[in-house]
Amino acid sequence: MKVLLIEDDVKTAAYVKRGLEEHGHVVDAAANGRDGLFLAAGETYDVMIVDRMLPGLDGLGIVKTARAAGVTTPVLFLTTMAGIEDRVQGLEVGDDYLVKPFAFAELMARINALARRPPIAQVPTVLRVADLEMDLIGRKVRRAGREIDLQAREFRLLEYLMRNAGRVVTRTMLLEHVWEFHFEPRTNIVETHISRLRSKIDRGFEAELLETVRGSGYLLRAPA
Amino acid sequence: MPLPRLLRTATFRLSALYAILFGVCVLLLGAAAFWSTRAALEKQLTRRIEAEMMLLEQEFRTHGIDDLVAQVQQRARVKGTLDYFVVDPAGKRLAGDLPAGSDGLGWVEYDTGPDGAAEPGEENEHVRVLVRQLDGGFRLGVGEDLEQVGELEETLLGILASALGIVLVLGVGGGLLLSAAFLRRVDMITRTADAIIDGDLSRRIERTGAGDDFDHLSATLNAMLDRIEGLMENLRQVSSDIAHDLRTPLSRLRQDLEEAQKRELTAAEFKRVVEGAVAEADVLLETFSALLRIAQIEAGTRRSAFRPVDLSEVLRTVVEAYAPAIEESGRTLRAEIADGVQVNGDRGLLSQLFVNLIENALHHTPAGTAITLQLSRQTAGALAEVADTGPGIPPEERAKVFRRFYRLEHSRTTPGSGLGLSTVAAIVELHHAAIELIDNRPGLRVVIRFPA
Repeated sequence: MKVLLIEDDVKTAAYVKRGLEEHGHVVDAAANGRDGLFLAAGETYDVMIVDRMLPGLDGLGIVKTARAAGVTTPVLFLTTMAGIEDRVQGLEVGDDYLVKPFAFAELMARINALARRPPIAQVPTVLRVADLEMDLIGRKVRRAGREIDLQAREFRLLEYLMRNAGRVVTRTMLLEHVWEFHFEPRTNIVETHISRLRSKIDRGFEAELLETVRGSGYLLRAPA
Repeated sequence: MPLPRLLRTATFRLSALYAILFGVCVLLLGAAAFWSTRAALEKQLTRRIEAEMMLLEQEFRTHGIDDLVAQVQQRARVKGTLDYFVVDPAGKRLAGDLPAGSDGLGWVEYDTGPDGAAEPGEENEHVRVLVRQLDGGFRLGVGEDLEQVGELEETLLGILASALGIVLVLGVGGGLLLSAAFLRRVDMITRTADAIIDGDLSRRIERTGAGDDFDHLSATLNAMLDRIEGLMENLRQVSSDIAHDLRTPLSRLRQDLEEAQKRELTAAEFKRVVEGAVAEADVLLETFSALLRIAQIEAGTRRSAFRPVDLSEVLRTVVEAYAPAIEESGRTLRAEIADGVQVNGDRGLLSQLFVNLIENALHHTPAGTAITLQLSRQTAGALAEVADTGPGIPPEERAKVFRRFYRLEHSRTTPGSGLGLSTVAAIVELHHAAIELIDNRPGLRVVIRFPA
């Protein structure tokens, strides 16, 4: 994957660049908005990681300018601004939002989810992972032909996992997308819900689809 | 040097200015009075002389010169009357005490000279005389010593001058007195302000109890000082609490890093130590973001983003999210949520409000505790309750638990930032709602009333 990183803090830029490169990605880094905009317009990237606070041009402005120039690359904003308005602003212009300080695993999971987000025109009506099948219209879930009864929130949780099948999703991503909690509760409520969901979709079946990735999050994928 | 300062006060300047203005008025008024009095006096004198002249002319026409001379001699003897002369055609004075002066007729003014002074002892008199030619060559003069008018003028001027003097003295003196009184009150305020600048924030401005402007000003300033002192106290408390509360995770972090640094560790041990350090750093970061969040909520800027929120739905989501964790912990959760209860607010913050309350009930109670969550519509607004059957909060501690980092004695050992209820209080305040902690007999009942 080819990533454009626009970040003025040298330490953070080096940390992100090194981490992404260790995972086999190619990273172009720009320390200011002008260089970043130049790169964004000239090259094709899978994901752009943009700091909100940059010298000269604000991150929001860079992305707006890039969008106006026809750049459709998904954007993840990095910021120290944790306010809700800031987040709303960021999400209006970009695609995801990550507040500093962050765990690298969180950043990885988010840019993976962004890079492979399917275009809106191709929204499927049925999601499939191995023998697990989700009918988004009829709101039914089957595994190996056997119907699984899920509560509304469990359905939403599984839907998010299936849409991101094969990619790690973090606890925070689940809190944001399934419960709309934009804060970090002290209780690990995600874990209890995951274990309940796991007991419904995995128990009694030969292969386990829902894995826990230690220190990062959860991963739903077809067994190798 | 109190006097120069006294003279520099606004009160003194104003009263001095006022005294000067008043003095000018007195002067103008006095001048007008002076001129009109003088004019009236002269007019009166003129009439008196003319009337006397008419009378004497009549006397002459009726009874002749001898009778006139007799009349004039008789009148001249009486002191304080007009002055007269009667002269024969040869210019010899027949009667009267005035010298005949020149040959002019009509109104004439002249000096009598030392010999002609009517009053004994007078050196000279300046007289104004009406002179008429009588039949037979006689001349009759009736006049008045103008000195008398001059004396009157002097008296008037004297009165005027003393009035002016009194006005100026009263004005300046009153100004000084007023300024001294003013300065005394201002000095009281200044002294208090100086003491506060020197660091004694508990000082307050004395009030005289007169209920005047200064008392009102002092009361307002005192109220302002109370508020500032409260805020300062709060700030001091928060800063020292932050310093105190962050020392523990920081020193643990330091211990972990020291351990990672000094000894030869196996890869597994090293990993464990580093994980510990990361966990401590996370605790610190979480504390900071919670503090920032509270500060941001307290700033109140989010009210602009308020919109109608389905509180019933928010509470159901929270209940749904927590039910499994609560049940697995050996506690029970019961919810009675009325449908379609709406409040105006921030959805995300309202979620956090109830999450924090539920988490408090979860983390500060023993297993077996029953937790209930209720939401009902009220005639004015909405009523939400989160209750548990745990150990509760002693009445004297109830107000303190909303303070940042405040933790009850028995919950010191349970993990948590001590910021949960501070956040709750900030969110409640932002929504103009009211929160109350009540004894649930046993346990704690948190009641939140949302306005309509």
